Amino acid sequence: MGWIRVLLSRCTGLIGRRKKNEELDEELRSHIEMAMEEQQRHGLSREEARARALREFGGITQWKEVYREQRGLPFLETMIQDARYTVRRLRQAPGFTITAVATLALGIGATTAIFTLVQQVMLKSLPVAQPGELWRFGNEIHCCEWGGYTQDPEFSIFSWQIYRYFREHTPAFAELAAFQAGTPDFGVRRAGSTHPAEAHVGQFVSGNFFETFGVAPWIGRLLGDSDDRTGATPVAVMSYRVWKQKYGSDPSVVGASFQIDGQAVTVVGVAAPGFYGAMQSSWANPDFWMPLSDEPLLMGSSSMLHQTNENWLDIIGRVRAGTDPETLKAQLKVELRQWQLGHLAQMTPQERQFLPKEQFYLTPGGSGIAQLQSDYKDDLRLLMIVAGCVLLIACANLANLLLARGLRDQPQIAVRAALGASRSRLIRKSLMESLILGLLGGAAGIGIAYAGASLILHLAFAGPDSWVPISAAPSWTVLIFALALSLMTGVLFGIAPAWMASHAQPIDAMRGANRSTQGDHSWTRKVLVVVQTAVSLVLLSTAGLLDLSLRNLESQNFGFQAEGRYIGYIDPSMAGYKPADLERFYQQLLLRLRSIPGVRAVSAALDAPMGGNNWTGSVRIEGQPTQHAGEELYPFWNRITPGFFASIGNRIVIGRPFTDEDTASSRRIAIVNEAFAQAFFKGKNPLGQHFGRGDDPAHAGDYEIVGVSANARLGTWDPTGPIRPAYYLPESQFVSFGGPQADVDENRSHNLLNVILWAPGNPPGLEAQVRRALDRIDPNLPLNGFSSYQEVFDQQFDQQHLIAELVSLFGFLALLLAAVGLYGVTTYSVAQCTNEVGIRMALGANRRSVVAMVLRSAFLQVGTGLLIGIPAAIFAGRFMAAELFGTTSYNPVVLGTVAAVMLAAAFVAAAIPARRAASVDPMRSLRAE
Amino acid sequence: MPEGKSDVLQGTLDLMVLKTIESMGPLHGYGIARRIEQVSANTLTLNQGTIYPALLRLQQRGWIKAEWRTSETGRRAKYYSLTRIGGKQMQAETENWERIAATMARILAPSR
Repeated sequence: MGWIRVLLSRCTGLIGRRKKNEELDEELRSHIEMAMEEQQRHGLSREEARARALREFGGITQWKEVYREQRGLPFLETMIQDARYTVRRLRQAPGFTITAVATLALGIGATTAIFTLVQQVMLKSLPVAQPGELWRFGNEIHCCEWGGYTQDPEFSIFSWQIYRYFREHTPAFAELAAFQAGTPDFGVRRAGSTHPAEAHVGQFVSGNFFETFGVAPWIGRLLGDSDDRTGATPVAVMSYRVWKQKYGSDPSVVGASFQIDGQAVTVVGVAAPGFYGAMQSSWANPDFWMPLSDEPLLMGSSSMLHQTNENWLDIIGRVRAGTDPETLKAQLKVELRQWQLGHLAQMTPQERQFLPKEQFYLTPGGSGIAQLQSDYKDDLRLLMIVAGCVLLIACANLANLLLARGLRDQPQIAVRAALGASRSRLIRKSLMESLILGLLGGAAGIGIAYAGASLILHLAFAGPDSWVPISAAPSWTVLIFALALSLMTGVLFGIAPAWMASHAQPIDAMRGANRSTQGDHSWTRKVLVVVQTAVSLVLLSTAGLLDLSLRNLESQNFGFQAEGRYIGYIDPSMAGYKPADLERFYQQLLLRLRSIPGVRAVSAALDAPMGGNNWTGSVRIEGQPTQHAGEELYPFWNRITPGFFASIGNRIVIGRPFTDEDTASSRRIAIVNEAFAQAFFKGKNPLGQHFGRGDDPAHAGDYEIVGVSANARLGTWDPTGPIRPAYYLPESQFVSFGGPQADVDENRSHNLLNVILWAPGNPPGLEAQVRRALDRIDPNLPLNGFSSYQEVFDQQFDQQHLIAELVSLFGFLALLLAAVGLYGVTTYSVAQCTNEVGIRMALGANRRSVVAMVLRSAFLQVGTGLLIGIPAAIFAGRFMAAELFGTTSYNPVVLGTVAAVMLAAAFVAAAIPARRAASVDPMRSLRAE
Repeated sequence: MPEGKSDVLQGTLDLMVLKTIESMGPLHGYGIARRIEQVSANTLTLNQGTIYPALLRLQQRGWIKAEWRTSETGRRAKYYSLTRIGGKQMQAETENWERIAATMARILAPSR
């Protein structure tokens, strides 16, 4: 460990250098004097003695130098010297410094802002103990329910029965927790409170949920296995956020009774701050957690807990130390297969056929159910690339600036080389400048990144209910990223000037004039401009394509009229309505809503078009065989009240809509859309045909088709795909599938969650009137949300808007930087060839030809950039083809516009120095020679 | 360079300095230099200045320590003395040197 001691003492050698130097001087002085005394004793004169002593010592100054170098850390010392010198120089040129730091800050700030989001969204673990021990069953995220005994292509959402089977058979897990994949809204009211019920996100979880994640209670207690048992008192745990925001951190909440969907539930505790559940999502962070055993109580006839083929749970487990995930996965797969084989008798033929092909995955669960990741993965990647390109352009600009500066300093550097400065020292000095600029830019960039990331978060998750566990504050990872980026860019744009410094010829110092340097490096600078132009073109064309695609998306034919239409979100089950009471309830509600002034038509629907939810399921057409495995169609299905098609402006193409005459006792009927008719009847008249829900041939005759509606976009999750087959059933009619268990879906589908209003001309106070109407019918039933279709669309395309806007912003930033770069290069070369211009003008060249000469050079660079950039932009478009709607990766209009914009910018950037060149006075430039 | 004088072998100076301090007790730089010259009977060419980087090196390793004292002639000088680690190292280095010297002697012994 000797070297540590040496290093330490060398470090202390850096402190108090002046005092130590004085001490060394004194020591050496005393040495010489002692030597002189001895020589004088031998009879030499004082002068002779001194000369001899000095000779024997051998060069005091050299030894002092050797001593000093050994005492401290010479590398560090010269570095500090260089740094001081650089800072001094930068302060002398504030214009240059500010430009350089601002350029860099923009580049580093943009990249770091996006990285902040990447780190928060993509790389963050749940705030729980030892997230590395957590493993999740399945890979894909399936929300929220999935019927059947098999899942294509992988089994990733589970029933309670499978969960219990896994829990009993897998000792490798210290804890294995299950929790609801969906997070439904519940109507919540503190018992005795006079306030109406409020909608809160809730989630059913297994009793060991909190123990699995290692989360502690803030106050009270969390759930345990004894709460998750049939017959246990209904309890719930509240999130810290809601406790603080809605209940003012009132400690009496613990132990208090709450009405949740009309049932008495005791809140037993508040979870630790920062714990937002097992999902990372922008819309599903639970406010309440309740044990799975409370699900039948709260969901009533729609309960899924005891349904063997209703999959609605995610599973995450904490493994014991030393468990091999591969072995564990294999074991779990066997367990799953055994369970499935035990239910072979209940499976449909398709399921039995598919079983051998089914996949099962075990994935790291430290990030929980990472909904945000899968929502934003592609966009973040695109933004990261774009921000990186902006940084690249910023670097090119700086390299140009430094090169210009380096050229100007070349005589001075030559003098230094002539005076004996070593090459390595010259390179170090030059790199030091770029590194310091890089660090300054990085420091400013962190500020920009924070502001930028906050702004993006604000824009992305602006809704009142939207709360995301993401913070824009830079974490350590982000700071280290920014530092690394600063150093990297510092080196990147510092290499060229450093290379130039290292080639300084001492002889240049003697020659005096710097004429010989012109031309040597101008090609480097021009290449940089070409690269900048090409990259900016790619960015701008990408932005153009995204913008075009978004406009196509929004102006597509949705198949219904959005103008003047509104959606109100309700959930009668929150107020305890049973399926049989619902038809009467909707009749009353719609009657009241229709009487609101300005309202022309109203209806209720299970899922309003593009309202965010859709039910899907297989169908059996009467007289047609069962669909082939792997090729089944799962149409959307919807339950509606009469007046739906009129209120939403969806045309009935043939047949008729539902009317009040279609009652529970009349013939059971359905309306299908054009896509359904095409898919199942291939051009034959669908009217009068029969089909049934599910695959059972016994139900194939359930519904008679009485009408066909025009294709309309119902789903939100694939706004670019083809319109899916869909069918509509009337609210008034029920089909029994035999027994309460089998009728869960049938019953739940009567709980219509949306009311649709057609009220053209922006009638004022519409929402308040709807709220009042609802309150008159049932004060326990809250209006969960109300929005116009314009708002629905805005929200639907929010993310695309944001991405397109950010890419445009980055594109224009790139254009600006490239233009500044071109301006700088042109200005510099104009300044360099002032003499030449002077001579040309003296020989009779007119101003126009001088301007043309400068412009020609600038346009040559930009033109080359465009020639490289256009194929690159087409290539980049190919990468995004999957995300573009209604346009191909190559769009001549976009490319042409972008190229024209770039040429215009280039003209402005080059015209200013060109004019300056033309105003050169020939006499003055000649005299300067 | 006069016949019979040798350059100081790299690394051996430290050992000489250590040994000198050990045998003479606390001593200043000039004293150490003179002592080495005397003992070597002037067969070594020694720039006296070399002593100082060597002293610094030994100090940095923690083998010797220094303090200002007044010499017998009444002059202020920096006196170097062995530390405890230095004493131990001194032994180790001596053994090491002897091993090398013996090896060299065997290698250089005139072949019969």
